[in-house]
Amino acid sequence: MRRFRPHLVLALAGIVIASAAAEGADVGPTYALINLKVVPVSGPILEKGTIIVRDGLVEAVGPAGKITIPEDAEIVDGEGLTAYPGLISAHTNLFLEEAASPARPQSPAEFAAAVAPPSPPDQPGHEVFDQLKPKKASIDGFLKAGITTVLVAPGRGIFQGQSVLLNLNGEEAGPMVVRNPVALHLNFTTARGSYPSSLMGTIAYIRQKFYDAVHGATVRAVYAKNLKGMKRPAYDPFAMALVPFVRDKRPVVFQCNNREEIKRALTIIEEFKLNGWLSHANEAWREADLLKKTKLPLLVTLDARPPRSSLYVNQGEELRKKAEAEIYPANAANLAKSGVPFALTSLGLADGPAFLKAVQAAIKAGLSREDALRALTIRPAEYLGVAAELGTLEAGKIANIVLAKGDLFDEKTEIVQVFVDGVPAKF
Amino acid sequence: MPKKLRFLILALGTLAAASVSAEAGGSLLIKNGTLLTVTRGVLVKADILVVDGLIRKIGPSLDAPPGLPVVDVSGKYVIPGIIDSHTHIALDGTNEGSEAITPEADVGRVVNADDVSILTALSGGVTMVHTMHGSANPIGGPNVVLKMKWGRPSEELVVPQAWKTLKFALGENVKQSNRTIQIGGPPPRYPQTRMGTNAVIRREFLRAKDYLAEWERYEKLRTSNNPPPTLVPPRKDLRLEVLADVLRGRMVARCHAYVAPETLEFLLLSKELGFKVACFEHAWEAYKIVDALAEANIGISVFADSWAYKMEAAEGIAYNAGYCAKNGVLVSINSDSGERIRRLFNEAAKTMKYGGLGEDEALALITINPAIQLGVDKIVGSLEIGKQADIAVFTGHPMSAYARCDMTIIEGDVYFDRDRLVREREEAVQISPAGKRGGLR
Repeated sequence: MRRFRPHLVLALAGIVIASAAAEGADVGPTYALINLKVVPVSGPILEKGTIIVRDGLVEAVGPAGKITIPEDAEIVDGEGLTAYPGLISAHTNLFLEEAASPARPQSPAEFAAAVAPPSPPDQPGHEVFDQLKPKKASIDGFLKAGITTVLVAPGRGIFQGQSVLLNLNGEEAGPMVVRNPVALHLNFTTARGSYPSSLMGTIAYIRQKFYDAVHGATVRAVYAKNLKGMKRPAYDPFAMALVPFVRDKRPVVFQCNNREEIKRALTIIEEFKLNGWLSHANEAWREADLLKKTKLPLLVTLDARPPRSSLYVNQGEELRKKAEAEIYPANAANLAKSGVPFALTSLGLADGPAFLKAVQAAIKAGLSREDALRALTIRPAEYLGVAAELGTLEAGKIANIVLAKGDLFDEKTEIVQVFVDGVPAKF
Repeated sequence: MPKKLRFLILALGTLAAASVSAEAGGSLLIKNGTLLTVTRGVLVKADILVVDGLIRKIGPSLDAPPGLPVVDVSGKYVIPGIIDSHTHIALDGTNEGSEAITPEADVGRVVNADDVSILTALSGGVTMVHTMHGSANPIGGPNVVLKMKWGRPSEELVVPQAWKTLKFALGENVKQSNRTIQIGGPPPRYPQTRMGTNAVIRREFLRAKDYLAEWERYEKLRTSNNPPPTLVPPRKDLRLEVLADVLRGRMVARCHAYVAPETLEFLLLSKELGFKVACFEHAWEAYKIVDALAEANIGISVFADSWAYKMEAAEGIAYNAGYCAKNGVLVSINSDSGERIRRLFNEAAKTMKYGGLGEDEALALITINPAIQLGVDKIVGSLEIGKQADIAVFTGHPMSAYARCDMTIIEGDVYFDRDRLVREREEAVQISPAGKRGGLR
């Protein structure tokens, strides 16, 4: 039996009125983007196409005339514009507040803290989502560069914690989440003032922690079968946090800051049969043959600054600059030439404009525009396991759409409008 | 065999790496040299035929098979590639000094093939190095033996035939006696004395013995007819695994030791615990305990001079190397540095002045002796048929202060050619913007 509830109807009507008034609420209205050139990535380019956006998703996309425009749709005339799927940067350190630099030490205790700043202990179970502080300025910078989706990873320590995948649809962290947690992130760095203080110590430390996880999982499995008659195993939170990665093969991202670190990561991935991904990797072209064989997800940064270990860094500023301008931007082009698949990321780049400049530099160094676009859309979507939702302009997918005046990666191109989760972003 | 350089940087100018050449493809004929073979005497106006990286023939007037590159070294001296028994180059780390005992910190896992010190080493005729964990703690980490294949990827540098070695250290570095204490700085690390050092090393080995026993018990149960259902493996401990390998004889100790008493104490400790010491490092007071070292068949790897740079080196003498060599100790001269490495032949020559070694004996200190210390004397260390063609060509006798290394060859590939390097560097300067401005001259 149903009862008529007028107060409920009134309340609902109020919501509808409110959402129609406030742009950018989480459920968007319906849009018909017409007269556009459409680059769906998943198929051939439509010289004159139509995209229907409804309730955050792409409802339909196709050549003009073949798509019926819904009556309730707000029409966006895209004459002279090109639509692309929103770009994905599959590794960033966005929205993380770095510890403020301490004031000049006064007391001996402060001096002590300044001499040996305590590194925060590694916490592989830590989810970066808990520390996100989204900032409008950095969101706008990325949207202006066409990036609508970012993987945010923690940036400190060796076992840095677990990343989250976000759609840049506002300023609140919760509604942005596409996937959480995504992967465990490792970096070949050292702990200042305590163990491990050297790179070989770090490698031993990483291996020991994974061995402890394997051991912990083994012991617990035996214990589960012998609850009666077996002493309960000691609880090691670090090892337990790593169990899903050694046992269930959840992804582990290794930040490889130079050529040798690619090989060091591969050795550890092989040793523990991890679901390993390689990130940073701006010297990846030097190990192209190896990477072609291993076929691991490769998240290549567009940051062309040579690593500290580089020959070019130790031979004077002139050579370093030349390497940054001429050698490292060709990383992606060289990988493509060698047939190594990869995604491109903005890791290490300050902001959206720096990202766009870096893409242009990679294209100038020989990367095709098609390869660049795939490496920023469908390829990262596949790596991240979200290809059903993101990465191309197809019916049913999330409506992350970039409207550009000109080719997306041209220097003079202006990005005029960006839809995130089907809502036009304001920037 | 390397056929071409993967990483050529000629276009960039200034870098000497551009001169790396591996185009000989591991085969060549070296003609008309004065060969200092080290183990087979001196051959005047003789040739060396190298095929696929190995020395195949040595003798006068050898014929080259058609197409084989020929290097004429008339008037020059040809020696086996120099081997540095103790250095720290080509690594992305030196000391895991945060704790006293870190045998898990393996420098073989942080080889950096881009270190320009490799090229520096080649310019002094060095073809192989034992590159080591530092001496900041009593038990450092495993070391690694590398060939100086400049331009090749790191894994191709590693010499798999060499003994696996673990770095130990005693004395001032370990007890941190030269450290400036800062208010509020890091607290002093145990041990702070020589007896503490001995004790902590002993303690760790006893732990490793327990660890071995624990695994043996487990394996016995696991492979028994009726393993208990609650049987679980012991925790794998990378720190103790390495010490267990030393106890099993799979690794040998290389111990940094300055003064005589601590050196003897370490020797006693190794006998008590049952592990092998391959070599003492620096060993400035080896001359005081030469009989004990000779009897125990333990070598030393030392500087030629430059003693008294710290208290525990105060009783070092320039005669140390020569005197020990003449009294049955296997001596090598090391660089411990990415700079001294280019003039190890000068260092070795000092033992002729101080210690009275002959030319051949002095040359042995940087060739066959370090090869024996590293367990690679079957493959390198002398000019012999069947050995790897690691060869250096000098303008004069390498024990002369006027000699200079002109060419360095590893496994038949030319990795350093001074003429070519100078030529290419001049060309690079011509085409570089800084060169045009005169900035690089």
